[in-house]
Amino acid sequence: MITATTGTNTQEALVGMRQIVAGHAPRQMKAIVGSCIALGLHHPRLKFGVLAHIVLPDSAGRGGSPGKFADTAVPKMLEMFKESGVPTQNLTAKLAGGANMFGSTGPLQIGDANVEAVALALRRAGIRVAAQDVGGSRGRRVTFDCEEGQMIVESAGQPTRTL
Amino acid sequence: MLHHECENGTALAGLKELFASATHDASAAMCRWTNGIISVTLDEVRQVPLEAVSEAVAVGDAMLTMVVMTLEGELGGALIVMFDDVNGRQLAASLLGREVGVEAEWSELEKSALMETGNILGCAYVNALTRLIDQDLHPSAPYFIQDFGASVLQQALMTQAAMSDDVLLCEIGFHRKGGRLDWRVVFVPTPALQTALASALHVVL
Repeated sequence: MITATTGTNTQEALVGMRQIVAGHAPRQMKAIVGSCIALGLHHPRLKFGVLAHIVLPDSAGRGGSPGKFADTAVPKMLEMFKESGVPTQNLTAKLAGGANMFGSTGPLQIGDANVEAVALALRRAGIRVAAQDVGGSRGRRVTFDCEEGQMIVESAGQPTRTL
Repeated sequence: MLHHECENGTALAGLKELFASATHDASAAMCRWTNGIISVTLDEVRQVPLEAVSEAVAVGDAMLTMVVMTLEGELGGALIVMFDDVNGRQLAASLLGREVGVEAEWSELEKSALMETGNILGCAYVNALTRLIDQDLHPSAPYFIQDFGASVLQQALMTQAAMSDDVLLCEIGFHRKGGRLDWRVVFVPTPALQTALASALHVVL
């Protein structure tokens, strides 16, 4: 499931699990993540950004929504830059999420594996991670801004961080 | 796999019947715990695409007070009781027979009252499911979380998400003296537990 939006309205787009949303400034995208990863790629000069809400680390060759898995989301995001006529050189990456919400118990603790898989996919694509806020046991509300490529991260009981 | 069987609606209807029966037990337990003030009813058993879960459960991007109980092991799952802060404190106050707390931080007593509520609901569901599948389920102790509802729900859905793009949710509503309360319970069974339930339902149906 991909939502490729390139409009310029300022309304925030909420990016749900396995979705990828693209847009030009002044567009903002928002995602709520726990163990998932919000990965934002940004072209600073053209003020174009793409935000993916990645759920799991590895597609293991499965088809379906590319935004669901780290190894398929990053290539799809780059494709969306190209489709919009934005070069994929000199992109910056920012990411947040990868928490283990239920401590050591509970269903499928996948936060750490998600962080590692996203880092690997970015290395393979030759994209530098400019900043990240990952791990821990808290959820995060992430707002990604296509103007400056800022990622604002709010977390319960923590000061808001701007990446 | 139940994900596929649900497409014809029969298994989903069977699951709804099962959870309605479990909810009846949970409601009786809840009535006893709250001196007859609060009951619960089954709202929905449905399959939802991953990207639409937060909207479907109407958690939005709000910070919520929650009690979570997980089922450990292969036959797993998570039961999440969700309140906004005001409603959670009202429930705690009514259970403790006190005025609603006004301090920013919840007291240990308030947390304990809410966790016990989650425990009572969770155990009622676990007992009903155990009777049906005739296998042991292993619930965790309840724990108290104040966080984004969508983040917690997301973690609960991970095992299902690894298997499918659609997830099964069981949603329960609360009532006080006939009026609906803005509290919710979401139960998320793992695929293995769904399969065990489906097998048992084939016998029952």
